[in-house]
Amino acid sequence: MNITQDYFSCYGLPCSFTLDLVALRKLHHRLQHHHHPDRFVSESDAQQRRAVQVTTYLNQAYATLSEPLKRGIYLLQLEGMDPLAPTNTQMPMDFLLQQIELRESLDEIHLAQDPEAKIDVMSALLKHQASQLEDEFAQAYQASDLAVAETAVRKLQFIVKLQQQLDALEGVLLD
Amino acid sequence: MALLQIAEPGQSAKPHQRKLAVGIDLGTTHSLVASVRSGQAVTLPNTRGEHLLPSVVRYLADDAPQVGVNAQAHLVDDAANTVMSVKRLMGRGIEDVKRFGENMPYLFEACDQGMPLISTVSGLKSPVQVSADILRALVQRGQSSLGGELVGAVITVPAYFDDAQRQATKDAAQLAGIQVLRLLNEPTAAAVAYGLEQNQQDQGTVAVFDLGGGTFDISILRMEQGVFEVLATGGDSALGGDDFDHALAEWMRQERQIPSQLDLAQQRFLLRLARSAKELLSDVETTELCFEAWPGDEVYAKLMLTREQMNQLLNPIVDKAIRATKRTLRDAKMAVGDVSRVVMVGGSTRSLLVQERVSDFFGQTLLNDIDPDKVVALGAARQADVLAGNQTGDELLLLDVLPLSLGLETMGALVERVIDRNTPIPVARAQEFTTYQDGQTAMAIHVLQGERELVQDCRSLSRFELRGIPPMAAGAAKIRVTFQVDADGLLEVSARELTSGVAASVQVKPSFGLSDVQIADMIKASWTNVEDDRSARSLREQQVEADRLIEAVTVALAEDGERLLTLKELQAIENQMAQLVSVRNGQDHHAIAKQIEIMAKASDAYAAMRMDDSIKRALAGKAVDQL
Repeated sequence: MNITQDYFSCYGLPCSFTLDLVALRKLHHRLQHHHHPDRFVSESDAQQRRAVQVTTYLNQAYATLSEPLKRGIYLLQLEGMDPLAPTNTQMPMDFLLQQIELRESLDEIHLAQDPEAKIDVMSALLKHQASQLEDEFAQAYQASDLAVAETAVRKLQFIVKLQQQLDALEGVLLD
Repeated sequence: MALLQIAEPGQSAKPHQRKLAVGIDLGTTHSLVASVRSGQAVTLPNTRGEHLLPSVVRYLADDAPQVGVNAQAHLVDDAANTVMSVKRLMGRGIEDVKRFGENMPYLFEACDQGMPLISTVSGLKSPVQVSADILRALVQRGQSSLGGELVGAVITVPAYFDDAQRQATKDAAQLAGIQVLRLLNEPTAAAVAYGLEQNQQDQGTVAVFDLGGGTFDISILRMEQGVFEVLATGGDSALGGDDFDHALAEWMRQERQIPSQLDLAQQRFLLRLARSAKELLSDVETTELCFEAWPGDEVYAKLMLTREQMNQLLNPIVDKAIRATKRTLRDAKMAVGDVSRVVMVGGSTRSLLVQERVSDFFGQTLLNDIDPDKVVALGAARQADVLAGNQTGDELLLLDVLPLSLGLETMGALVERVIDRNTPIPVARAQEFTTYQDGQTAMAIHVLQGERELVQDCRSLSRFELRGIPPMAAGAAKIRVTFQVDADGLLEVSARELTSGVAASVQVKPSFGLSDVQIADMIKASWTNVEDDRSARSLREQQVEADRLIEAVTVALAEDGERLLTLKELQAIENQMAQLVSVRNGQDHHAIAKQIEIMAKASDAYAAMRMDDSIKRALAGKAVDQL
């Protein structure tokens, strides 16, 4: 296993945003079967260390490809772009305003009479937005319109962050 | 140390040369050794036919230590030299031990690394040494019943064991001369014991509900095509069957108005009464609690307890376990309906109430036909057989996760999370840090484990120092810290300054670890303290920012303040700085942020002057072609 190749190549997949996640998991498991340190417990120290390296790389590859946001960022990085650069702060005003609104409603959820219902509504909204942005990214990437793809992935990052905060809030409220 | 059979790479053992490997459940109260014989995992008994080895070691002045039943017999008459429950001391520091060691009859001494040592007639013994003595007894039992040298062992640890506790366990095995094939999490081992990979209808999501005497572990796994993958692990390490006994004992005390100041014998009496009532009520509907043998002068009347009443008392405790289960399902991104099998482990899952509640929660019958005391060792034996290479073809593969997040201390005593809990292992992550002051040549690296945002709330795993960073302006050096967690869940940290290549590496091998209660508290607190943490974090961040600004302006003023500024300008800056110092020491992060802004504005013009001045000085006396 060459651990310097890109994550798509190690699974024998073409560089693409559209991905069958179940198939990816099966490929990942098959590779783990061959390379996991459990297969090398009676081999030399060097081989055991090598197995740890390879599976570390595979776990990183799988974590990157199995999440749309990480996958999108990774695809752009392969194109030599840096969508997460701290200097990269330009965002469309309407999107930013919408984000502020969403954040305000997130902050008010715990005051609501039925926070659980509010969480469900917001979660559905975020899921819908995320999937729209993923489609946008997929099309732009396919058409090699990388600037549009970059904007989509940066918007997606906002949405994913909100989703995470919503999940954390749900955990606290439902406990 | 036993000589190991070493095979050349690629050369596997011949079919008839079955390698002897065992699974070991190194438990708090008792331990077991098991192995696969004729395709079946079985626990191995001693010559008297006993399977459970009490985890007790007695040290003698001129003889080898006694382990097990023989040692247990002397817990009272030779308490100081007879060590029990050593698992609770593994990976802990002397401070931890002093805190919960009050009930332990041992004389503790601290060694250099802060590890607690027990003073016995045969000298000072570390918890690692005591565990090694138990392991030696188990390995001897394994060798004599299997009739040969062992190639190695799979040793189980609680899913919640932190790095220090895992490392201590591995050290004990090394000391006992055993090759550790793998450290395996107890709930994972239990799931393996049921052989779920062999049946097509058992594929899917499996929950392992492990309620012991003092701890509760819940793991969510996915079984798919011979791969057993841990999706999330959680629990409450201060929750267990002991809480049931305490709740019942407390109820009895209140019912009979027994004063709350009880001596040890009276406490034990109530707990014993509670335990036997609990066991009786699994068979009968009502039982009588009798205080005749009360160790005291008072006389208390009998008391009736029904199963219904008992369940009401115990339900709040089971609720806690169900809540932790819900949380872990959320972490695994699974719903209750996704779970296709539920495995029950731990002595406290014998309780009918627990079985009913868990079965109701998951809406299905439970897997509990393997003896909950043996299931972990049996699973470890199966995994040992796989790892030793005794199975061919598509054997079982276990993929586990990191149980507790790892992080580094950053400015302001904040923890920068580097690897989140429930990340599949092996895993490596690198994080870059920079220097905080001009000319800084050393940097302390402080590795922590836990879920909270402040250093003081997480467990310190290790500290080391990176030296020899070339002097650079603040923020110019780039220090990359790499965390590597291996398949045993053990951590290695290395650090490198990228512009100069200065390297430092440590294997995280501290002398202390987390107490179970601490882990439970830390995790629980991370849920309840999200808000606190957030404002505490904002405060620390603003304080760090304020310190940075104060430091920069102080250095600049000392250098050229008087030369470049008028007295009035100088005083204005100093006034704002004094204000910043005063709000910085307060608790209001908004006020600090505001004052930082004012201060920055007040020193803007001065910063511009300094810039001009330094350019002028750099150019002074130089011809254009010299530049």
